[in-house]
Amino acid sequence: METVQVLLLAFVSIVIVNNLVFTKFLGICPYLGVSGRLDMAFGMGCAVTFVVTLAGIMTWMINNWVLATLHLEVMKYVCFILVIAGAVQLVEMYLRKFFPTLYESFGIFLPLITTNCAILGLCLFIDLWGIKSLLEATVLSFGAGIGFTMAICIMAGIRENLQLADVPDCLRGAPITLITAGLLTLAFMGFAGMIG
Amino acid sequence: MPIFAQTTGMWQQAGLAALIMVGLGTGFALVLLIASIKLKVQVDAKIEQVYEVLPKIDCGACGFAGCSSYAKAVVSDPELLGRCAPGGSETANKIAAILSLSAGASSVPARAVVHCRSHTKDKEFYATYTGIPSCTAANAVANVQACKFGCLGFGDCVQACKFDALHVIDGLATVDYDKCTGCTACVKACPRNLIEMVPFTQEKMMVVACRSRESGKVTRSMCAVGCIGCGLCVKQTDLFSVDDNLARMAYDRYEPGPACETAMEKCPTGVIVYRGKNALPPRPAGEKPQAAKV
Repeated sequence: METVQVLLLAFVSIVIVNNLVFTKFLGICPYLGVSGRLDMAFGMGCAVTFVVTLAGIMTWMINNWVLATLHLEVMKYVCFILVIAGAVQLVEMYLRKFFPTLYESFGIFLPLITTNCAILGLCLFIDLWGIKSLLEATVLSFGAGIGFTMAICIMAGIRENLQLADVPDCLRGAPITLITAGLLTLAFMGFAGMIG
Repeated sequence: MPIFAQTTGMWQQAGLAALIMVGLGTGFALVLLIASIKLKVQVDAKIEQVYEVLPKIDCGACGFAGCSSYAKAVVSDPELLGRCAPGGSETANKIAAILSLSAGASSVPARAVVHCRSHTKDKEFYATYTGIPSCTAANAVANVQACKFGCLGFGDCVQACKFDALHVIDGLATVDYDKCTGCTACVKACPRNLIEMVPFTQEKMMVVACRSRESGKVTRSMCAVGCIGCGLCVKQTDLFSVDDNLARMAYDRYEPGPACETAMEKCPTGVIVYRGKNALPPRPAGEKPQAAKV
């Protein structure tokens, strides 16, 4: 039961309390760029979840089994980027083969996940927090993806409604989006400190 | 010599690091190589060729999500040839050449025509609308303006247009024919169905810029420049017909002659206008039609 509790807490922590977008300000580029429409945002969230889970597991394995044993932790940035780029390529090929419609609808955003800093950030955070079990790293990676999906979907929902709102001319477009993002972050600040 | 020992250690570390990178890189390259062979997608070379000749603007006029999906569809089903409105007959011919078909008769480019010429000063209002500034929303409100058929001027079509070819000028959506590609996005956007695709056999086309089917008296009370269905134009040429208090132009046999010009001059509200490139500005509202020349 102990493990289950730890995993559950880790999941809730990464999704809500330590959400990468709201508290670490990572992945802001797609968060603001692809949150115009809800369906696109959800698709982006799903793709990121997939890639971040894969990348999180693989980087944990490389970091703990290869780099740590050889005392080459300095190499982790380069290795992690390599892993993420490779994983994205693999996902792209897989989607193109088996889910062509999904592949079409992602378009350019799929290869751009490579440069999503939320993914590299999560891999580095797992190392920084000293996560020693592969299972916990997996749960954290998956949770980070879910947290990103939640953040981008909330944002997209608000922005869809903002289209019909009576926004002052000087705040239309990017300014009101940034204000919304700030307020959302403030709201999620309420969870801070709930789980260490 | 401790300094040498240090350097040797450093070189060893660097060598190890390089080895790891090479190892990881090769590992990933192998995985991706296997994946690219196993997950290879057979793409018809013709699809790429067709995609190359398409305008690549993803306007959706063909009914597909974008140019790439249209390319795929047209290769498998040649019946879909000629759906590309922005490309026109030129693109259709090129696609036909790739698919070794003949495109048939060259088609006339269709362009958007707004069937209204009522600017804010010509319109009658019962109250001021302060709701959501969109035509779709405003159209749901009764009496948003007196005329139930005319342009609302909130610019849903302007937002739909990807080519910056539509602008609301003084409360009337106006097409910039230098930019219009005939993609039909605005036709779908207009909640009042004011925009119609007209085959432009000439640079400028004579159109009846009104959609009001109210009786002449009611139309006159609502708009200074509406069609009152008087039928003076029908007396000049059979290109015009009046149906439901509204004059219409038969575009399928459009051939403007002096009779049409006379009809235009005689029209009491000046609702028959030229639309297209270099079209002259229409007669101002309220000005009396000139007396017919003998």
